[in-house]
Amino acid sequence: MKVRREQKISRVAKPKGARGTPVKAEPKPKLGADVIPAERYTSADYAALEWSRMWTKVWLLGCREDDIPNPGDHIVTEIGKESILIVRQQNGGVKAFHNVCQHRGNKVVHAVHRPQEAAKSFRCRYHNWEYRLDGRFADIPDLETFPQGAPSCGGLISLPCDRWGSFVWFSLDRRASSLRDYLGIIPQHLDPYHFERMVLTEWKSVEWNTNWKASVDAFNESYHVQGTHPQLLYYLDDLDIQIDCYERHSRYLIAFGVLSPRVVSPSEIPPPIKVAMRDAGMDPASYEGSVYEARRAIQKHKRDNAVAQGKDYSDLNDDQLTDDYNYLIFPNITLNIHADDLMLFRHRPHPTDPGKMYFDYFMFQLPGNEFDKEDYKPPIHKSYKHGETSLGLVINQDAYNLPHVQDGMKSEGFQGLWIGDQEIRIRHFHKTMDDYCESAKPKGRAG
Amino acid sequence: MDLGLIGKNVLITGATQGIGRQIANLFAEEGANVAICSRSPDGVKKAVKELALLADGKIVGAPCNIKNKEEYEAWVAAMAEELGGVDIFIPNVSAGGGADSEKNWWKNFEIDVLGAVRGVEAVLPLMAKRGGGAVTMISTTAAVETFMAPQAYNAMKAALITYAKQLSQAHGDKGVRVNSVSPGPIYFDGGAWDMIKTSNEKFYERTEKTHALGRLGEPEEVARCVVFLSSPAASWVTGVNLVVDGGYTKRVQF
Repeated sequence: MKVRREQKISRVAKPKGARGTPVKAEPKPKLGADVIPAERYTSADYAALEWSRMWTKVWLLGCREDDIPNPGDHIVTEIGKESILIVRQQNGGVKAFHNVCQHRGNKVVHAVHRPQEAAKSFRCRYHNWEYRLDGRFADIPDLETFPQGAPSCGGLISLPCDRWGSFVWFSLDRRASSLRDYLGIIPQHLDPYHFERMVLTEWKSVEWNTNWKASVDAFNESYHVQGTHPQLLYYLDDLDIQIDCYERHSRYLIAFGVLSPRVVSPSEIPPPIKVAMRDAGMDPASYEGSVYEARRAIQKHKRDNAVAQGKDYSDLNDDQLTDDYNYLIFPNITLNIHADDLMLFRHRPHPTDPGKMYFDYFMFQLPGNEFDKEDYKPPIHKSYKHGETSLGLVINQDAYNLPHVQDGMKSEGFQGLWIGDQEIRIRHFHKTMDDYCESAKPKGRAG
Repeated sequence: MDLGLIGKNVLITGATQGIGRQIANLFAEEGANVAICSRSPDGVKKAVKELALLADGKIVGAPCNIKNKEEYEAWVAAMAEELGGVDIFIPNVSAGGGADSEKNWWKNFEIDVLGAVRGVEAVLPLMAKRGGGAVTMISTTAAVETFMAPQAYNAMKAALITYAKQLSQAHGDKGVRVNSVSPGPIYFDGGAWDMIKTSNEKFYERTEKTHALGRLGEPEEVARCVVFLSSPAASWVTGVNLVVDGGYTKRVQF
């Protein structure tokens, strides 16, 4: 039955303490109602513009600090046609380099997305050109046979590299302003979750047959829940959500452990809410309250039992103990953040085909008492083609749609994206794309 | 065919929604006097008001937590008093399904099983006073065939079928008939199958096809059978378990 119950989600009015995540609702941005052209998702020209004006100007997520804990530890990540080598330095700092030997262009480290243990130096396998951890040349065999001497760059080409939130970030723009400037509101909003306490439990990349922006869009609005994820209507309120757009980043706050106004209130606690209760350490069969009190009951149970469960929620407000705080760190990091886990998606463009992309799936968990540090082994990254691996029901449901969306966007019968207010983060995302792509010089203000 | 329900006094537990509510509706429409309960005072008030619109007879109700023995017995006594006796009793309230913990077993035992036992013991002397009566238990096809998961709901509902049969033998001499009705999957807005239909439409459609009649049942289709078996029109029927499932279960019932 089609219903639309009247329902208001109660939200905390104030941040948790001085360091808590801000909860204030931002005014709705005035972004007009224009159609967003479909060519942005399909044309090679637009992809080239994106590359030269956006990807090469922003800060990008490189790896986890935990991937490279000790001096010499390193990892290679890729963005578009570029391969980036990130290296832990002797002094504990991090450096990022173009992963390319200055001699004949061979990649210096060939393993991608595989944390590599301490190297003393990097040696190109082609002619043994050798680089120090800080990128400078260590050895060029038979240097005397090069009448022009060594390349004047002095070693690997270094890129801006910095750390925040347990992650290492880099920029392809050698003149980039600081990471802090670029991240803007993000550290203040997300530091209370203490990502550094979480451990990686899943890590996969899937080549999806869609443009990377279609993938970003799929996680930037809740309007598709009733179409794509109907089972979530018994778990979250997809209508009363708080959407906040900042300069380049954005978020929405979705209450979990509640019913959607789109379903008739059931006489039993719905199975997904029971799962949330069990995850919090409650026995759903012993719960005597109504479905409308479940969200607050779960929050209270988690708050009351945090110490016993070995978890520290002291910087999180009550809503954060159940709800989904979903952030987009422009351009390509989606974070579904919960007190006990972080689902992080990185949407990477394909180097040549605007109809393809890489969906990087990272799952992090906050360890509790039962976590055995000795026993923990980080997952080994694996790559798949579309449909070769399951990413769980919800993401599988999203992934199912996307190639069809990509094909449809190429049709003569489609003029562009017709975006409603529930999808305003998509409009805001495209406005930020415009800020980069329409002027050669991106804005420098904090986002 | 006249069901002979005009002026009969009916007690139904948990009759504010779903099958129980439809049972109450039909009794009311047939001219019976009906007493209902539910845990929520607002729920009872609303249902009594709505039922009164259908009724020629008297409609009463009061909130009651079936788990609480004294409260439950007091509810039976008060309703019997208000209606002036009891002819028909339908222990309908259920703790529902779930395999979360041992607590599910206690809940189904206290609400489904003891909810029937305590009610029956309270109404039997009242029925004897009036020269007879009828009790109809609400069981489920989950009691007679494998369904979903091993869980307390299925097993405790099975207990009701055995209990009903034995009651029918023990109290026939007082003119009391006792039967069970076992519905299969029933759809109503806000019911378990509404959740399944919304959450997993394919499974819902497969379940529809599993029924010989090709769809899920409606509460009224179960209620009509309950009302018939409980009425004087079924005067020669006792000790049966009537499966009302549109051909969902496949066993042969001899």
